[in-house]
Amino acid sequence: MNILLCCNAGMSTSLLVQKMEQAAKEKGLDSKIWAVSADEVKRHIDQADVLLLGPQVRYKLKEMKKEGEARGIPVDVISTTDYGTLNGKNVLEFALRLKK
Amino acid sequence: MAGFISFLENRVMPVAGRIAEQKHLQAIRDGIILTMPLLIIGSLFLIIGFIPIPGYSDFMSGIFGDKWLTKLLYPVNATFDIMALIVSFGVAYRLAEKYKVDPLSAGAISVASFLLATPYTTMFTPEGASTAVEVGGVIPVTLMGSKGLFVAMILALLSTEIYRKIIQKKIVITMPDGVPPAVARSFVALIPASVVLLVVWLLRILIENTSFHSIHNIVSDLLVGPLNALGSSMFGAIIAVLMVQLLWSLGLHGAAIVGGVMDPIWLSLMDQNRAVFQADPTGELPNVITKQFFDLWIYAGGSGATLALVVLMILRARSEQMKNIGRLSIGPGLFNINEPVTFGMPIVMNPLLIIPFILAPIVLVIVSYLAMELGWVARPSGVAVPWTTPPIISGYLATGGKISGSVLQLVNFVISLLIYYPFFRLWDKQKLAEEQAESNSSNASVPL
Repeated sequence: MNILLCCNAGMSTSLLVQKMEQAAKEKGLDSKIWAVSADEVKRHIDQADVLLLGPQVRYKLKEMKKEGEARGIPVDVISTTDYGTLNGKNVLEFALRLKK
Repeated sequence: MAGFISFLENRVMPVAGRIAEQKHLQAIRDGIILTMPLLIIGSLFLIIGFIPIPGYSDFMSGIFGDKWLTKLLYPVNATFDIMALIVSFGVAYRLAEKYKVDPLSAGAISVASFLLATPYTTMFTPEGASTAVEVGGVIPVTLMGSKGLFVAMILALLSTEIYRKIIQKKIVITMPDGVPPAVARSFVALIPASVVLLVVWLLRILIENTSFHSIHNIVSDLLVGPLNALGSSMFGAIIAVLMVQLLWSLGLHGAAIVGGVMDPIWLSLMDQNRAVFQADPTGELPNVITKQFFDLWIYAGGSGATLALVVLMILRARSEQMKNIGRLSIGPGLFNINEPVTFGMPIVMNPLLIIPFILAPIVLVIVSYLAMELGWVARPSGVAVPWTTPPIISGYLATGGKISGSVLQLVNFVISLLIYYPFFRLWDKQKLAEEQAESNSSNASVPL
């Protein structure tokens, strides 16, 4: 399970990555979770199973969805509450649900 | 207040969305990013060159010889002075990517058309002479840096538009099967590239016959002059900050959206300061408003100057929720990342907290602008300090090593603390009441 996150510079999403990795470990899930800036997504999306956007770049959803659809990868925006509270567990579950 | 939120959602949001999604603006923003690492590296050398310790210069020339500064500043010239060249490639590359045509070819064609628009002459004063003479056969460094930035951007957009239109109309030389793809690709670019260069060539010839003489002159007279005047004014800065804050109030990355439009202007203002500072570190710098002005003096802790709010949460919060968010936010906040605060508190779509969130940065713009304009605080020297550099340090570095830069950051911190305090108190009280109500009701439902 490879989860790619993106926001404007990949900074605040990388905070979330740490929390998600913890949550994945607790679940015994084998996963790769990483964050990049929005303009780097194209170089990383091929290795991803799901792409999540920080809510502050949700205006990029349409563009990112196109990229995702071309590769059969689900793309969505992380909920603001989970994002703000850095709730790794919820976001991980969100990613898993999207993948199904 | 509900009316205000719905005004934001119905009026500001769609406009912001359109700006943010606009292909050309996106390409400019993403293309300019290519120069940032270079400018930061160049800045490092700039900082080392002008460490404000008495006797430093003599000490350095004692060890490395008289020419130490010139040699130390080689990387500064190789980064700042080729900004436009890099942007010319970067913007075309990013735009071509969006059109799904070969970005590498688009970038190469764009660089060629930028150089094609540039007169290969420079003014040179020979040793012993008093008047400058025009020298040919050189690529003028002055036009490869921030002075050529807008020409580079415009030609990158123009050349890539022509390129992709021709490619998409399939007016290309196609090679038969069996020809290696790399070879085939270079032939594909052949016709579009010649059309682009032909257009730019004709444009240059045409303009040479007018009183403007070069594309660079037209762009600087008609576009850069007015834009810089607006971008360097306090009024312009307040409008920009207001837009950033309104967008963030909706939960959209305001700095990225506004930066997409304003970054080229702020970047060239920054480089004007850099050029003056490099020539004479004690000289008066032309601009207060530069990219660093916002990143370092207005947005301590992130957009909205929220570092003060986070410190309040840590020191004065009584509700568990505020204490938690404070603890979660202080680490990232010191490096000017504040999504845990804006989304976690939340400030986004929160009628109460939006007030200080918009008010504080605007007050800080006015205070900082006046302090620098009146000469109480040193202006940004053009050193490209990364926006993630913690305050106090960043103010010192960005002014070329002046304590006043750090002092203003401290003053600004106190001002934002005062502005946030009453609103923070109200919100914390509300959260505390919610928590108490919750624990009361849960106690009631589980009687001992």
